[in-house]
Amino acid sequence: MADHQQDAHGAPPGRSRRGTRRHFIAWLSRAFLGLWGLGAAGVAAAYLRAPHGGERAAERLVRVGLLDDFRIGEGRLIRHGTTPFFVVRKDAETVVALSAVCTHVRCILDYDQRRRALVCPCHDGSFDLSGSVLAGPPPRPLQRYDVSVRAGEIFVLLS
Amino acid sequence: MIRRPGLRRAAAGLILLAAASGAVLAGRAGAQPGVSRPQTVGPAGVGVSSGRCGVCHPAQRAEFEGSRHAREQVRCISCHGGNDDTLEQARAHGGDFRGRIAKRAEPAVCAKCHSDERMMRPYNLPVDQHALYQTSGHGRLLAQGNERVAVCSDCHGAHGILPPSDPASRVFRTNIPQTCGGCHADSVRVGKNVFDPYVSSVHGRELLDHANPRAPHCVSCHGAHGAAPPDVGDVDKVCGQCHTAERRYFMAGPHADALGRGGLSECASCHGDHAVQVSPPAWLSTVCTGCHAEDSGERALGERLWTSYQAAAADLEEARQLIERADRIPIATDDYKARLEQARTYVNEALTAAHSIDEATVSGFTARARSVGTEIQSEIYAKLGNLNLRRLLLIVFWFYLILTVLVLRRFRDASRTA
Amino acid sequence: MSAPAGTERPAARGNWVDWLERRINLTQLFSLITHFGLVYTPIDTSRPIREVLRELSQQKVPTYAQWPRVLGVLAGILFVVEVVTGSLLAFYYRPTPEEAYASTRTIVRDLPFGWFIHQVHAWGAWSLIVVVLVRVARLFWDGLYRAPRELLWLSGVALAVLVLKADFTGRLLAWDTHSYWTLVRGLEVVLAIPLVGPIVDFVIGGSIVNEDMLVRFYILHIMILPVAYIAFLYVTFGTQRRVGLGQPAGGGPGGTTTLRRHLYSLLILTVLAFGIMVSLSVLAPLPFHAQADPYTTVVGLGPPWYLLAPYAISEGTPIPGWVAGLVTFVVAIGVLLLPFWWRGGADEAAQRRARIGGIALLVVWAALSVLGWFVDRGAS
Repeated sequence: MADHQQDAHGAPPGRSRRGTRRHFIAWLSRAFLGLWGLGAAGVAAAYLRAPHGGERAAERLVRVGLLDDFRIGEGRLIRHGTTPFFVVRKDAETVVALSAVCTHVRCILDYDQRRRALVCPCHDGSFDLSGSVLAGPPPRPLQRYDVSVRAGEIFVLLS
Repeated sequence: MIRRPGLRRAAAGLILLAAASGAVLAGRAGAQPGVSRPQTVGPAGVGVSSGRCGVCHPAQRAEFEGSRHAREQVRCISCHGGNDDTLEQARAHGGDFRGRIAKRAEPAVCAKCHSDERMMRPYNLPVDQHALYQTSGHGRLLAQGNERVAVCSDCHGAHGILPPSDPASRVFRTNIPQTCGGCHADSVRVGKNVFDPYVSSVHGRELLDHANPRAPHCVSCHGAHGAAPPDVGDVDKVCGQCHTAERRYFMAGPHADALGRGGLSECASCHGDHAVQVSPPAWLSTVCTGCHAEDSGERALGERLWTSYQAAAADLEEARQLIERADRIPIATDDYKARLEQARTYVNEALTAAHSIDEATVSGFTARARSVGTEIQSEIYAKLGNLNLRRLLLIVFWFYLILTVLVLRRFRDASRTA
Repeated sequence: MSAPAGTERPAARGNWVDWLERRINLTQLFSLITHFGLVYTPIDTSRPIREVLRELSQQKVPTYAQWPRVLGVLAGILFVVEVVTGSLLAFYYRPTPEEAYASTRTIVRDLPFGWFIHQVHAWGAWSLIVVVLVRVARLFWDGLYRAPRELLWLSGVALAVLVLKADFTGRLLAWDTHSYWTLVRGLEVVLAIPLVGPIVDFVIGGSIVNEDMLVRFYILHIMILPVAYIAFLYVTFGTQRRVGLGQPAGGGPGGTTTLRRHLYSLLILTVLAFGIMVSLSVLAPLPFHAQADPYTTVVGLGPPWYLLAPYAISEGTPIPGWVAGLVTFVVAIGVLLLPFWWRGGADEAAQRRARIGGIALLVVWAALSVLGWFVDRGAS
């Protein structure tokens, strides 16, 4: 296809159809190659979009819900990734967050509202609301997490 | 230079004084804060609590001075009588001197103070030790005239008594097995060696090797002063003090009644008592033959429980391996790990619930575990399948790439003419 | 660029070029390209850019987009691929032990196309190592180390060493258990080499792999080693400009082509190399390991594969460690300074002797490497 392409340029009036087609193919080929550039730009743009990066730090701060949604004495299990935790409203102002994983053989705890304790269904281990072991086989107290109440919303900072 | 000699001497004296006081102050400043000066030992071995007894009895005095009693101004004469303010043997060993306290008399001697509510109140110590002792195995044998039993000093020591909270005490929790084992390891002496089985048991290993403060020792099950072997009907109640969940299920099952009527010890029939180990889950099907026939319906039930448990455990193991495989790609697995933990909870509960021998309860737990496991597996497989999309796109990509190379070659060869 | 050389588009598009040309010497800027081996003849910077470009497009250049000369170009292309993907990775990577693994995992697991960029970077690194080592082997095979091409050989070996060092430093950045412990073993070997060992020890901050070392590795990997690499590329092209490309012994592609065609060939080569990298990334993705735990030694891991040979000498045989280091040092210096001590001529017999010697060394090195691999893994 090494023909002269003189007639494809300058757009003289009445150029041949062959020249126009060649011109079109050349343009098409250039657009085709340009797709590579578009593709690369698209990949880079999708990758570099910042919000995804910002979310990571935010993952550790969990919004649990509204303070008013918790009755006094109520406790809820929040299944958050590999760190499920209990949020318990002890009184009008105090909310505590404790790990929901028993320190014995890692069963998931239940909350006993009457006894104000976290109880393990596997071997009857129990913990009080500050995480200390009340009874049973667990060897270590539960991990506590920082709770902050901002504008009526409960946030738990997992560490 | 100061000209006048008198002034010079005065100046020299002042400097010396300053230096000396400086040295003394430096010495005092250099001393570590908080180090209290040791108890003054009076001249010629006279101790604060031991009086002059220690002059002739230095070994006992040394032991006693380190004990809890010495700090509470208990004196040698409090237990032994006599006089501690003289070195004349006649006077020292006179009066109400008791000398070496006879074994049969010892509990009463200790009880003189330790059963006195008014004396023990300031320390808030119990005063029932003597009463309990008289009900114990040791106490009853002693009352019958058998002196080859333990009395107070055999466990607590005689002169060097320390409180049970002191790690050096003979009755500190990690030392208790050794203390009891002094006699109870000797099968000739007491008929049965229970010390060695205990030390090899899971309880013994937890207490002695891992220093687990919640692990049971001899006193935990047998009591201290009222020490006696729990009777057959009581063993389960003792175990159930810690293993509350297992006992709850057990009492709801058929074994509670049956073993009680048969006069067999309940927990210990399957788990042993002193030599108890962690029960392997496989026992669900094997331990039944201890009482039931090999081909009996009960054994078959045990077999079914074991199968149900095994299936759930295998499902979870498969899920765990899938999660590991996903992590290597990596795929986000945090949610799956959390659900796996929940499923593990169910499987652990199933083992505890197995004490009720109730198939419905146990399979309830294992079924829940299996459904979580299956869920996890199917979701991960779906995600792995999505990855195959990449391979398909690769084929499309290669079409595109070959086309590009052809176009470029066309451009390249088109410029041959220049 | 579909117009044949010699004709141009109407003046409408040329205006901005003239506009710039009146303000800055475009030809001089363009002449920087000669530093990087695309153009070998000097450019007269007093002439306008359009004339220069027109002439250049007619120019004859040697066909080095074909085997075996393509190895050099490939090393350059792969280097550019690594720099681009590495820059993208660096946007999200954090060089502290606490966050290195988590940030890498975010890139690979959560970010769109993160896995792709990471895999291309990893496979690109492997390919670059292969290319650069094969290039050294081919320079040796074709006798391109003899006078006057000593500098070519030196920079070729230096490029290979720099790439291996970049691999060494880059591994640790992921802070996963596999790379952490292979690095610890690798450091054992490197620090035992005389002269080089103490210098490396000083530069990387000791032999304890902690947060200080990670930062130093990071800076080495993203700044210092790439700059050194470019410097040696510079040397390579500079010496080639002076002494010419050299014919491979026994004949080979010695023809010439126009610069324009040559540029297209390079573009095709880039596209194909990229395609292979993408295929490897999708079909055979390199695995992602667990997080490094400095307190738990992984049993059975040896040093990186290129350090297995000295490792085998020090660990697999009763020879003491310092002897192994000394042997490695002597061999490395010998390879580096090959043109200066090789006393053979340019004739067939000498060439054959050299090649046999090279093959022998390679076989010994390979055998030692295999032995080194089994020292840890087979013995247990």
